[in-house]
Order: sequence, then C-alpha cells, then structure tokens
Amino acid sequence: MTLPVILLALGMAGASAPLPPVPSDLPAWMSETTQNKVFYRRGAYNFDVYNLPSLARDLNAVAVGHAMAYEDLVTGRAATLESATFQRIDWVLKHPPRFMPDEATISSTFGRRYGFLEQVFDWAHLLHAQTVDVLASTRLTPAEKEREIEALYRFYREGTPYVITPLPMNMEFLDSQPYSMAFRRTYPKVNGLFWGYHWLQGAMYDILYGQSLDQQRLGYEVLGERYHQVELYRTDRAFMPMNAEVSPRFAIRFPELANTFDNLHMLHDLVNDILATRGLTEAQRDGQIRRAIWMLLDSTHRGEAAGRKVAAGLHDHRHPEGMPGMGMMKGATEDLMFMPDMGWMSMADCGHCSMPLPDGEDAWRAPTVTAEGWSMRVRCPLCARDMAAQMKGRAILRIPTDDPLRPLLLVSNDRGELGPDAPQALFLEQEGGHAKCDEWSAAVTSREAFEKYLAEHPRYAAGKPLTLEEWSERQGKKPDTYVKPKGPVEDPYAADAHVPEH
Amino acid sequence: MASATVSVARLVLGLGLIASLVSIPGPARAHETKCPFCRKPVLQDTADLDNEVALKFGKKRIEYRCVLCAIAEAKTAYTGDLTIVAPTETKGQSVTITRKDGKWSMTPETAVFVGHKVNHKICDLGYRAVTNAAAFDAWVAKHKRDLEGAKPLSLDEMVKLAYAAESGG
Repeated sequence: MTLPVILLALGMAGASAPLPPVPSDLPAWMSETTQNKVFYRRGAYNFDVYNLPSLARDLNAVAVGHAMAYEDLVTGRAATLESATFQRIDWVLKHPPRFMPDEATISSTFGRRYGFLEQVFDWAHLLHAQTVDVLASTRLTPAEKEREIEALYRFYREGTPYVITPLPMNMEFLDSQPYSMAFRRTYPKVNGLFWGYHWLQGAMYDILYGQSLDQQRLGYEVLGERYHQVELYRTDRAFMPMNAEVSPRFAIRFPELANTFDNLHMLHDLVNDILATRGLTEAQRDGQIRRAIWMLLDSTHRGEAAGRKVAAGLHDHRHPEGMPGMGMMKGATEDLMFMPDMGWMSMADCGHCSMPLPDGEDAWRAPTVTAEGWSMRVRCPLCARDMAAQMKGRAILRIPTDDPLRPLLLVSNDRGELGPDAPQALFLEQEGGHAKCDEWSAAVTSREAFEKYLAEHPRYAAGKPLTLEEWSERQGKKPDTYVKPKGPVEDPYAADAHVPEH
Repeated sequence: MASATVSVARLVLGLGLIASLVSIPGPARAHETKCPFCRKPVLQDTADLDNEVALKFGKKRIEYRCVLCAIAEAKTAYTGDLTIVAPTETKGQSVTITRKDGKWSMTPETAVFVGHKVNHKICDLGYRAVTNAAAFDAWVAKHKRDLEGAKPLSLDEMVKLAYAAESGG
C-alpha cells in the first residue's frame, strides 16, 4: 500500500500532486497586515432581515459555525473537529444567537493568521447580508428592491479591491486542485455543516425574491425546517450546493450575485481543503490560500466575459444554457448538468415536461417548485402542481399570475394538499399537449383577469375558472413531451463517492 | 396572462423533442428519478412489462423502484392510510396494496410476492408482486438463475421482510 493510500485510509488526506506555484504578482493588499473594515452601504432597509426572525437567527448561527470551525482548525484542535467542535457548533445552530456576532472575536487566531482572507470573506458576506435586508424589507417597492440590489452590487464591485469575480467559474477545475476534497473526506460532518450553511444562504433567495412578507415567512417556515432537519446533517453530497440549484429565479435575474456567492462558497471549500491537507508547511498553506483567493478575484479575470471559454480551466467562464448564474459543474455539457438526486437536467427546459422555459424578460413567467432540497423552474402551473405531487414531503410552489407583483405562493403538505387558500385566485386548465402548456394552464388574480385571459386566448374560450380547491384536486397526464436527458456518463461524481466516515 | 416568449430556436428544439418521441419505444415518462428508499433509478415501464411501483398518500404519488422499497418506506415516512400500486408479471395488471387503520390488505387476494434476497440491481425480479401461485412458479422458472429456491410470500410476510429492510435487518 502506498503512503497516500495509507493516509487516506486513516482519514488523513494529503496533497495528491505537487502544489501549484503561487503567482508572483499577487495584489499588494494581500501583504497588508491591518484590516480595512468597511461598513454597510447606507439604507433604510438595513437589518430588515429581522422581519423574518427565524431566518435572521439562523444566519447569525452560520457566522458562529464558520468561525468556530476555522479557529479550531488552526489552534491544534483539528483532531476533535468531528466530535467536540461539531457538538459545540450544533448546539449554537439549535440555539441561534439573537444578533450577528463579530466573527473576529470567535476566530481571533485565524483572523490574525489569514487576515487577507477574512477581508475577502467579510466583504462578500456584507453583500449577502445587505441583499437579504433589501429583499426582506417592507419599506421598498419591488421595483426599488431590484434597483437597490443592483446598486448594492455596484457598491460591492467598486468599493474595495477584495472583490470576488461575478463570472461563472469552472467548478470542476476549481475542485480538482491537488488538495481538493481533503476537508470533506477528513471531516465529513463539519463539511456537511458548511455545505448546509451554503445551502441555506443560496436557498433563501428564492424564498425572499418577489414575495410579500407573509409569503416569505410561510416559505421560510418550510425551508428552515428542511435546513435544520436534513440539510445541515447531510454527508452524502457530491458537491457544494449551487445557487442556481436552490434559487434559480434569483440566479437568472441576478447572475453576477449568484456567481459571486457560488465563488465565495468555492473559496471556502478551497481554504478548508488546504487547511485539512496534512503534510503542508505553514508557508505552503499560506501560499496556497493566497493562490486560492487570487483564482477567484475579480482582478484576476479582468477583461473576461461570462459565456466565453477563454482557455481551459481557470479562465473558462461558460455557463449552462438557460442559466447564466452558474459555472460549469463536473462533467457538465453546455446543455446538461448533473444533479445527484435528479440525474441529468437541462436548466433551459421544464423538469416536468421538457419544453423550453421562458427566458429573458419573460423568465419571471416560469413557476418554480422547491422540494427535497432543490428548486426547479417549470413551464406552467400544472407542471408545478404535478411535480410537487411526485415528491416526498412538503414542497413550495411559486406560481406567477397575470400580475407580476402578485405571484401565488402555495405549500404542499406531506399529503400533497395545497394551501393557504387564495380566495381571489382562479386557474385555467384545459389540458392538452405540453407544447402549449404555458397557454392552457394559467393562474390569474381575479375573475376579470380570467375573462381577459380567455379573450386574449380564444381557443380556450370554453375554459371554466377553477378555484384553488378545484384545481388542486386535479392531476394531469404524464406529459407527452417529456424526455429524460442523457448525459455523457451515468454519474460524473461516482468516482468521488468513496468517503470514509469518521 | 400573455404566453411566454421563447426564442424561435428553442421552440424548434422543443418541437424537435416532440418529434423525437415518435422514434422512442413506449411512452415517455415524466420525472424519471431515483427511488426515495434505495436511491437507485426508478425503473420505467417497458412495452412488455410494467415496472413502476407507485405509493399514493393523499394527493401525492411517489414512485419507487420495487415493492419492497415502497413498503419499507411506508413504515416510517408516511403516517396513516396509503395505497401501493405494484406491477405484476403481466403488463397492465397490478396489485393494489392498501394500509388502512394500520392493517394491510391487497387486491386481488390471490396475489403473492416474490421476496427472494437479490442484489438490489435486480430488485424488479427479486421483489415483485405476482397475481397468483401459478404466476409465481412461472416467474421463478423464467428467472431461474437469480431466483432459484424462491418461496412465495404472503402480504404479511412481505410487509415483515420490508419492515426489516427499513430497519437494516
């Protein structure tokens, strides 16, 4: 048995190949020894995340969890990361703090050693936090929220040099470094927590975006339960959760933010793997962490554009068709990506009927279904209802109506019963071939809107308005258009699925 | 609501998908996914044989890879009454298994189960409902290499076997 195999068997991952060289032209700010603290952009919406107290507290606990793990990793307590540290973090997650902690007080050693990294993390975390504040605000109109998120992004991109690139990145390349996967293999439970946090930080956006406060609270009641019961404790993920997998509406509307957050989370993974790789000197760790930051900095990719394969590897900025807010995943083609629980999927097509999804300015017209930890865009209300009925457990359905500002938010309970009641809403369902399902299946906000819809679509003039109760009793046929996509291999992550439990 | 705009190219692609169905044998199935219990792909019906096992719970209809998987999940994942529709040896004929007030029953009552321990890759052979004892003998004979020595199980025995599987037994 070779040494690397022995180390892996012992759960001690070492680098599998020579370490890549650290660039000689790293940005000058990486050598600064003092920290540049930048506070929130001014806004009446700041801290409105507390309109959803349970989400706010869960996010506060995420900050504690990150900091505790990092501090223990660099202060000689790595050996008990899966036991004592995990239990300490888990207690905090179950008893989340009322206010956001200053991570520097929890991970002071880590902060002193890797202050340049904290600078990058803090700046992106601030963008996360303020974006959530805007979305949770009741003081801004939907249009004001759209504008303010764009302004927040400009503030982020132009305010400091610690900016993570908004380009889609080749995730397969980034996760193929000599040290990659060391953390998930050595510390699967704590890695599960990290990916659980990142699941929450991605999934929350579609719960918040374009919804009223009541709808946000209802959505988070379902999402938060899933987070606490399942997502935090999963050790079977092949890869970190991606924003577009859990918040496709937000990722399509704000691809620069979705990519920034995915790249931030990938930076966490790179750093975790470097810290978990045995046999590195402190100087090697320091150098590789600087290189990891450099790979994901905006300044490294200046002049490059989303959608272009500038070169293989680091500068490959392609994205899947229909999803500009996501980099290429392992084994993905530009048409298909692999989701471990769903198999090969096209993000441009409906997951239920395979017909093309609306894009561009019409992207908002696609309903979404959130179930079993993922969110998927579908083509019509029937596709949403029937897809949710095929999934175990609770599901969230977001169904656009004639009024872009008044989408329906429905929760399907364990038995598939839909609620809450929407007394004004009416549905058209004149089932036919799914080539036209986005016409014969529709939801509207009033009787007047229903009549208007029929007038605009005279071929459905015989359609009867269905109440939510009547509509929810229905079940469509299996779509005539459905085709199961076939990827280049059965499962691109199969070779990674080894993983000794600690 | 106005219909969604899609590019001409994408619409052509979508219509191409429809056209491509013409050459696909058997009906296309929505949501070919993984079994919630064993995580292996749910087997699809073929032109000669049905394979999809459906568990109906309220308005939910969840597909499983085999009847053992469905009954096993019924133990813990679903509280209350439910129905499992299991394919048999004959295309178009199914066995309806019902749990009502905690008691299991099935239609037709003549049905028995193959419950022979096999690698789960071939669970559609090793764990299957068949319509009667004669059909059981024919099924075992047809798949002699994998099912040699198999004995027919009653519904109670099948439930016991599946519940043990759920417990890792």
